[in-house]
Amino acid sequence: MFRRKEEGRDIVHRWEGNPLIRMGDLGFRCADIRSAGAAYYNGKTVLLITVQHLSGHQSIHLAHVDEKGRFFVEKAPFIGPNGDSRNDNPHESEGDMDARITYMDGKYYIMYMACGDHGFRIGLASTVDFVNLEYHGLISEPDTKGGALFSEKFNGRYARLERPKSGNSIWISYSDDLVYWGGNEVILSPRRGFWDSARIGTGAPPIKLHNCWLIIYYGVKSTSSGPLFRLGAAMFDLKDPTKLIGRANIPILSPREDYERIGDQNNIVFCTGASVQNENELQIFYNAAESCVCVGSTTIHEIIDTCVYSKEEF
Amino acid sequence: MTTKQITGEDLLKRFEGNPIIVIEDVPFRANTVFNGTPIVTEDGIYLLLRVEGQQGFSVFALARSKDGLKFTIDKEPVMMPAKEGPFARYESLGIEDPRATFIDGVCYIMYTAVGPRGGSRIALAKTSDYANYERIALVSEPGNKDGVLFPRKINGLYARLDRPIGRETGSIWISYSPDLLNWGKSEVVMTPRYGFWDEYRIGASVPPIETEEGWLEIYHGVKMTSSGPIYRVGIVLLDLDDPSKVIRRGSSPILSPRAKYERVGDVPNVCFACGAVVDKDENIKVYYGAADTSICVASSTMKEILSDQI
Repeated sequence: MFRRKEEGRDIVHRWEGNPLIRMGDLGFRCADIRSAGAAYYNGKTVLLITVQHLSGHQSIHLAHVDEKGRFFVEKAPFIGPNGDSRNDNPHESEGDMDARITYMDGKYYIMYMACGDHGFRIGLASTVDFVNLEYHGLISEPDTKGGALFSEKFNGRYARLERPKSGNSIWISYSDDLVYWGGNEVILSPRRGFWDSARIGTGAPPIKLHNCWLIIYYGVKSTSSGPLFRLGAAMFDLKDPTKLIGRANIPILSPREDYERIGDQNNIVFCTGASVQNENELQIFYNAAESCVCVGSTTIHEIIDTCVYSKEEF
Repeated sequence: MTTKQITGEDLLKRFEGNPIIVIEDVPFRANTVFNGTPIVTEDGIYLLLRVEGQQGFSVFALARSKDGLKFTIDKEPVMMPAKEGPFARYESLGIEDPRATFIDGVCYIMYTAVGPRGGSRIALAKTSDYANYERIALVSEPGNKDGVLFPRKINGLYARLDRPIGRETGSIWISYSPDLLNWGKSEVVMTPRYGFWDEYRIGASVPPIETEEGWLEIYHGVKMTSSGPIYRVGIVLLDLDDPSKVIRRGSSPILSPRAKYERVGDVPNVCFACGAVVDKDENIKVYYGAADTSICVASSTMKEILSDQI
């Protein structure tokens, strides 16, 4: 599926056939496409993409892949307005977005962002078959997003990444039961002067490698014509995910192609799903310019090297 | 205590001897003293005070009294921002606005930890002698403050009111916990009211007081003016079994800045309560910070408060 197209000096290489899913592929009207969470189910990629409807509301839709590698996006929302009656909930009145999927103990956990009258919060749902969905409720304080569950427990406790608005940093918190959360710690912050100087946030759910938890995150630089969203990478200790081992000084993917530069919001690459394929390939699903879903890949070796040795790069 | 009418018709009557604590009463050099929470002890009424140091970071001092009016302050601060350990990175810029709640005989203090990363968070400590404080945990996400603990479990869970910012609006929320460490099931309780005195921002002030009719919450409401905010004190009754439900909310404030000590100070036009004491005759004394520069007290009766507008 992937043929590499070298573009600039990005660590992540774009698929030649990008974009993977355009608005025109949807078979129903919408305003834009905002993100894609990814999972493997029955040996195939399943995506949960965020669609903004023409009304302005957002919902999360299931996308299946066919034999030719094309994605079919379901019209009925999987999570969000018109998906079920929860739309009456004032905490989700504007819809749901940015699904991040984690497979754990035989279940696919989906953390998403619920947007309502009083702010945005992390919601949790789970499924075993991508047909039936179980809701676990809203699990954060308001104006916290970027929820992504770790696929393993730490000292018997669940852990999640989160991105509270205050401070624009990535945090971690823990829970015994997925309902009550505590032990919040900040683990990664914006860096003055860098490409991720204005704010950072959760990208894909944490990826367990042999020597670390790999976190793909997004970083924003503010320019006079608006934010510039890029993707970065950082490594955390396998046993203590608050402990930073390495952080790339350079982005791993920056908007360069037209489909990344031109859209409802220009100059955005934003990732909510990634996975390891064939042991050494890291596949990243990303949203470009809030208008389409794209895919790129790199090697684990390359990304770890970048985290460890990019200090000398400029 | 003797009260005096200043101007207007505030429900809470100011103590004639206000302000009861000013910076000159603090035995160490500091900038201001304000926002103290009362603790009823066997030896009298103590106040855990927020003292703002000259560098701008706040610490806590202990004031002791027999009568709740005439206080003597301990020679040294009783709690300073943590210099090491897990709290250090979250409160290096100060500890603020303590609120004391007794649960099953244990005196808990919820306070605001202020740090460089993400601003303020709610923290929890406890004390047995009021001079030494043991930190328990940081209990909120960043960007949250004004945490007040309910004095008992509700439906088997600890509960707190807090003040996160959602959609750029400061509202009063509730969260629950099985163990005081892990918190969840957060819900909005009430929001600012457009056009009212509390239209800009609201937050919990006094730890909830249990009455037959419901939980009495004395909160702060802010109106924004062209010359800055006006902080007033308001009241609301919350359902005893489900305190996320508002039973009745006062339409008017029960205390507004009018006296000179409330109008003039580092932050003018502020009345900010951090605790109250209800005696056996159902008289209530509300302790509040005035203009972020002194500690004052005003009183009423529970009957009057509950029958006033709510």
